[in-house]
Amino acid sequence: MLGRGLKRKLSDYEESMAGLSSAFDSSRSLPYPLKRQLVLNMCLTKLQTYKMLVEPNLHRSVLIANTVRQIQEEMRQESSQQPVNICPGIAPASHSYTGMESPGIPLQLPSGVEDISPPTCLVPTGDDQPKFPENTGLKLEDDRQDLKGAECVFGSFEISNSTSYLKDLAIDDIFEDIDTSMYDSDFCCPPLMPPRSPSLATEEPLKTFPSCNSSSANNIQICRTDLSELDHIMEILVGS
Amino acid sequence: MCRGLTPTAPLPKSPGRARGEQRVIHSQDDALGSAVLAVALHGAMTPGFGSLMQDVLWCFSQVKGTTDTGVTESDIISTVEFNHTGELLATGDKGGRVVIFQREQESKNQPHRRGEYNVYSTFQSHEPEFDYLKSLEIEEKINKIRWLPQQNAAYFLLSTNDKTVKLWKVSERDKRPEGYNLKDEDGRLRDPSMITVLRVPVLRPMDLMVEATPRRVFANAHTYHINSISVNSDYETYMSADDLRINLWNFEITNQSFNIVDIKPANMEELTEVITAAEFHPHHCNTFVYSSSKGTIRLCDMRTAALCDRHAKFFEEPEDPSNRSFFSEIISSISDVKFSHSGRYIMTRDYLTVKVWDLNMENRPIETYQVHDYLRSKLCSLYENDCIFDKFECVWNGSDSVIMTGSYNNFFRMFDRNTKRDVTLEASRENSKPRAILKPRKVCVGGKRRKDEISVDSLDFSKKILHTAWHPSENIIAVAATNNLYIFQDKVN
Repeated sequence: MLGRGLKRKLSDYEESMAGLSSAFDSSRSLPYPLKRQLVLNMCLTKLQTYKMLVEPNLHRSVLIANTVRQIQEEMRQESSQQPVNICPGIAPASHSYTGMESPGIPLQLPSGVEDISPPTCLVPTGDDQPKFPENTGLKLEDDRQDLKGAECVFGSFEISNSTSYLKDLAIDDIFEDIDTSMYDSDFCCPPLMPPRSPSLATEEPLKTFPSCNSSSANNIQICRTDLSELDHIMEILVGS
Repeated sequence: MCRGLTPTAPLPKSPGRARGEQRVIHSQDDALGSAVLAVALHGAMTPGFGSLMQDVLWCFSQVKGTTDTGVTESDIISTVEFNHTGELLATGDKGGRVVIFQREQESKNQPHRRGEYNVYSTFQSHEPEFDYLKSLEIEEKINKIRWLPQQNAAYFLLSTNDKTVKLWKVSERDKRPEGYNLKDEDGRLRDPSMITVLRVPVLRPMDLMVEATPRRVFANAHTYHINSISVNSDYETYMSADDLRINLWNFEITNQSFNIVDIKPANMEELTEVITAAEFHPHHCNTFVYSSSKGTIRLCDMRTAALCDRHAKFFEEPEDPSNRSFFSEIISSISDVKFSHSGRYIMTRDYLTVKVWDLNMENRPIETYQVHDYLRSKLCSLYENDCIFDKFECVWNGSDSVIMTGSYNNFFRMFDRNTKRDVTLEASRENSKPRAILKPRKVCVGGKRRKDEISVDSLDFSKKILHTAWHPSENIIAVAATNNLYIFQDKVN
């Protein structure tokens, strides 16, 4: 979710996506994981767009969800064979949040590996697979949701972890590394700085907090509140 | 000389000669003593053909629709269907209208001009609706039209949008009664006390009027969007299929339908497959097929159970590992399924191919035709712009020897199942001179582009031919290109 004042240009997004998919089609040199990531991003973006429709197309949603599932399964198998890396390696995980917070954010893939959604790059849980944010809204007891179809399709993703995931982590740990200004809600903060490739080891993110109303000393406090609000915001987003 | 396909209509060119037989005139037999030896062309290779194998040349016949460059959304044609005799051609559009064309009688004065199709009737079949319960708008777009066989003077057809199927009666009126007692000529009621004389109304001729009336409305039976309707060979029932269910209706009963297929899982989270098309067998009224988004076809027999959840046959081709991509599942989704007229084969269309299956062989199709394989390397872009979800239809010709389907850039393709030859033709205004022969088109994949070829990157993906129809017995085809309807016929020598 972007802070106030930063406009996301849809046309730029479309152009960059078009450029990416052409690159996918024409380039044989794009590494497979990158291609896979691109496709996954496109899928998630589409699903996010469909979510905003009153009546998503069930057929398309099913096809896209199956594609996502297939990619995630592949990633799952791969990562179960490899030791888990923190962040840069787990680019997929990051994009679930990207998809959630802002459909259509330009996904600068080559640099996307060092993505800007730090919370997800954190300590991997046992299940480090990309979460499907939409699923938090899949309270399938609701028949109305049932009939909407698209959302219900994604039931197999273990999304229920995502909200509790953040609560479990020690907040201090998070704030050592992370720039969570992205997750500030409207009434809290500020225009964002353009996302920087975070280097997790540095303390810099704290300093790069954009013009918060409060002083930098209060940043940590603010961010603590932010985090609990993050859950709230997520619920609003996916529940809407 | 432009080459097309072998003729399909069983029009004997040389009556009295058996297939494959050479005709030789022996000079001594010929009364005139001519030394002409006529060697017949090799006869047709399969049953059902005319005895001469001759290339079919497709010619432009007519085009319906405006030439305006701006297309009104509601004018986009969404379905095309000939009736069982080919006399009538119906189109449905996104605006919920149905337009029926009728073939004019062939005139002796112009034998080379085969009957043209003229507008016979136009009516508003479906209106946009609002589902208040779910706060959803229901589109009026006509998804499918299916004709009933003609049983009396009137014509009947089924038309459907996403939620409601309607049975329409199209009938002619060329006489009207005059001389009522209780009302005058304008229809106003007369004062009974003023009537002193009784008379019998008489029928007087009037200008031909074609009227369409909705005879039945079959509503509220589908939660999901209807994608197919199919009239049963018993002519008493029909089925309607949506994404997850298929219902069987009796034409006379509108407030009930039988659910014969239901693939909705108890937990919608587990949904991985939807129904994409369904059709009844042309002769066996207990048999039907339905296709899925996973590229499979199920054949069901209604005699086995009331709910046909268990298929009698399951058609699926194993995946080709060399063609595997992220989009494999999406492009395997079947967009159309059609029985052959004989009932022995089914044809399916997925994004890149058309396949013909023998009902007796479930593990793979007997024929696979590449429609536009050059798109295989463009799948990501096509996915990004949603073209990969386009639902192309496919049709058989009358003798089941040629199949046709649409593509992009207003191209459409025909495949001759016997000669294995194929042709790409284009529906465009540029090729629209009367009786102009259509020139085969070619897409150049890479490298040097020859003159007249078009490169893959120049294809216009907004000009897609999704809906086509083939006359039941003649070489006449109707091709819907966005808001225009093209009619092509083979060249009459």
